[in-house]
Amino acid sequence: MVKMLVPYPENCTGCRFCEMACTIYHDGKINHADARLQVHRRGVKVDFPSVCTHCVSCGEDCCVLHCPVEAIKKKDGMVYVDQEECTACGECVEVCPFGVMRMEEKAFNCDLCGGSPTCVKFCPMKAIVYEEPKPEQYEKVKKLLAVEE
Amino acid sequence: MKMKGYTGKILKVDLTTEKSHARPFDEKHARKYLGGQGFAVEIVYHGVPKGADPLGPQNVLAMAGGVFDGFPVGTGGKVAFAAKSPATNTLAESIMGGSIGPELRHAGYDALEIVGKAESPSYLYIENERIEVKDAADLWGKDTRQVPEMLKKRHGWDVKVACIGVAGEKLSKIASIDCDDRQAGRAGLGAVMGSKNLKAIVIRGTNDLVPAEPKKLLGIAFRYQKIYEAAPSFIEDTKYGTGEFLGWINKEKGVFPTRNFQESVFAEREKIDPYYWAPKYVTKNKACFACTKPCGKLFEVKSGKFAGVAIDGIEYETLYSLGGACGNSDVESVARANELCDLLGMDTISAGVTIGFAMELMQRGIITEKDVGFKLTWDNASDAVPRMVEMMGNRRGFGDVLADGVKVAAKKIGKGAERYAVHTKGLEPPAYDVRGMKGHGLAYMTSTRGACHLRAGFYAPELVGKFWKWEGIDRASTANKGFMVSQTENFMCVYDSVGLCKFSRGFYLIAKLPEVIEAITGLTFTEDELLKIGERIHNMKGAFNAREGVTRKDWLLPPRILQDPIPEGPSKGQKISVEEMNTMLDDYMKARGWTMDGVPTPEKLKELDID
Repeated sequence: MVKMLVPYPENCTGCRFCEMACTIYHDGKINHADARLQVHRRGVKVDFPSVCTHCVSCGEDCCVLHCPVEAIKKKDGMVYVDQEECTACGECVEVCPFGVMRMEEKAFNCDLCGGSPTCVKFCPMKAIVYEEPKPEQYEKVKKLLAVEE
Repeated sequence: MKMKGYTGKILKVDLTTEKSHARPFDEKHARKYLGGQGFAVEIVYHGVPKGADPLGPQNVLAMAGGVFDGFPVGTGGKVAFAAKSPATNTLAESIMGGSIGPELRHAGYDALEIVGKAESPSYLYIENERIEVKDAADLWGKDTRQVPEMLKKRHGWDVKVACIGVAGEKLSKIASIDCDDRQAGRAGLGAVMGSKNLKAIVIRGTNDLVPAEPKKLLGIAFRYQKIYEAAPSFIEDTKYGTGEFLGWINKEKGVFPTRNFQESVFAEREKIDPYYWAPKYVTKNKACFACTKPCGKLFEVKSGKFAGVAIDGIEYETLYSLGGACGNSDVESVARANELCDLLGMDTISAGVTIGFAMELMQRGIITEKDVGFKLTWDNASDAVPRMVEMMGNRRGFGDVLADGVKVAAKKIGKGAERYAVHTKGLEPPAYDVRGMKGHGLAYMTSTRGACHLRAGFYAPELVGKFWKWEGIDRASTANKGFMVSQTENFMCVYDSVGLCKFSRGFYLIAKLPEVIEAITGLTFTEDELLKIGERIHNMKGAFNAREGVTRKDWLLPPRILQDPIPEGPSKGQKISVEEMNTMLDDYMKARGWTMDGVPTPEKLKELDID
């Protein structure tokens, strides 16, 4: 069974601990813009995490298909950016429906911490769970993201 | 060694000249004041000239993120505001959990010092090195939800906004500062912003924060995560919020101030007890930045006359102030009044206590329905309380009389009203009837910002009976309270300086803090060194207050606490006598090494390296 990050917006408190844990784990420093997942707070009623679904949600593989130099690839169901080939054009950041393709000098995304996601470990409310993909949960996040625009 | 974790800079903005300047600070400064409250208090202590009008341009508003701010430390994202308080004329800090503190550090500053006064309504925009004072004409008059919404539309969803409501604009001495539906409520710091024509502080920070030992820090965070998840208080707080012990305070302890401290058990307490209302009204959990132990609740009213109310609440203190203290057992009305306080930008504790005070005055015929315009009575609380909050925030009608809290209201009303005004130093008390908790009563007096449960947090040792190294603490006794309160005050200054939520003090006793501080900053401290910093911060506040003429004579407990014993319940018959009050104060001064008048001695200040 393939496991992915599954967001549960109804459980999210908006504490953003997952973002901090993510960047400190990967980069040894904290910068929310570099977190491979993003927490959104919209007024008093809405908090939710947006995670990299590795395009299992709809299978459209947006970032993979839109990369003009084919630097974004899939292996064992996981999206990853070939750092050698990436030209940092930003196309993948533009098209990611979850807003979680990040860009520093090159594009990068969630790697599930090699199979033991740090964000999941630190979420006290089970707003992000590492389990079999749940398309209906991804749809919830897409809807919430659409509202903010 | 270069210290890590800190940004190493304090940003000063002069609203009069619209000039800003970032000054660096060194390791010595960090070791002396830590951060958060320590930094904010230092800025106000050295920045506000003697005798300055709290609502004049000479006052300084400081804001500082704690040492933990921006780092993954559970419940460690608190930010401190400080200024000379218009309510108490003392150096007052107010701490909140909004995300503005961590954002300030990402922008490159550990603290912000705001001086002067803008010519017209303005807001401060900080985006890393870009500092601008911008026009806020369109924001003036808007509430604390409209303001961030408008500013986020303008500057992007990622900006963090701290702002004031209409109450702050109208210089209400109980006005609060709001960020993320969390408030720095106490001591009228919102009015300080209003007096500077400063509607909001908007921050966008994109710099890295780099801890000294990232892996170690993540390990510590994970260890505490497990400790939290296993703690009974985690489960209770997550389900019911901070009101989870409301029933216990009423039934077991009998120290829940009711109807303006006329009673200490609220007979209808089940109606405002979250054990009963949470299942019906709570639709979601809410948390402050970095909080992994969420006590915030989204409280939504779906039908009835208060339909549409949606707040992060209701907190324990507000269940008391807008509930029990006003005899208001309609939890939907409490929620609405809470929402109005938040939107208008008023402290719920001060607002509720002030309304309860006015209700007792009407009960006694000192004010009448004609004065107020409607029945401000216990049996009409459900309607009257939100209505009065709205009038206070807008300074309309009788609301103008109450808009500055009980001390000012009692003076305006006269006719013996002062006998029923419950406050110390001009600040309304929180949700503990100190007649039944003598040490906590002392803490209300010694608190540098007036009656406060969090400057010493002494309710916890007295209600539980033990804390830190102490066992068998008797809440009805005055013995050793002077020493213990002085120690817990030092404790609390440390928590506010590292930016840790006080609900976590049971998890992170002082001895556990050095490893966390070291993982972030690389600086090593012993427990004693941290407590010395706490003592230094408290002494600075004490010295500031003494300089402003606020000494022991101004600390005393109000007549209600000294003269009227608790009429019924588990604490029946208890009060604090004048002798007990003086004994505790004497003990406290000795423990502090201050004069009997409450003035820090030159020797003490020298010992603590305070200039």
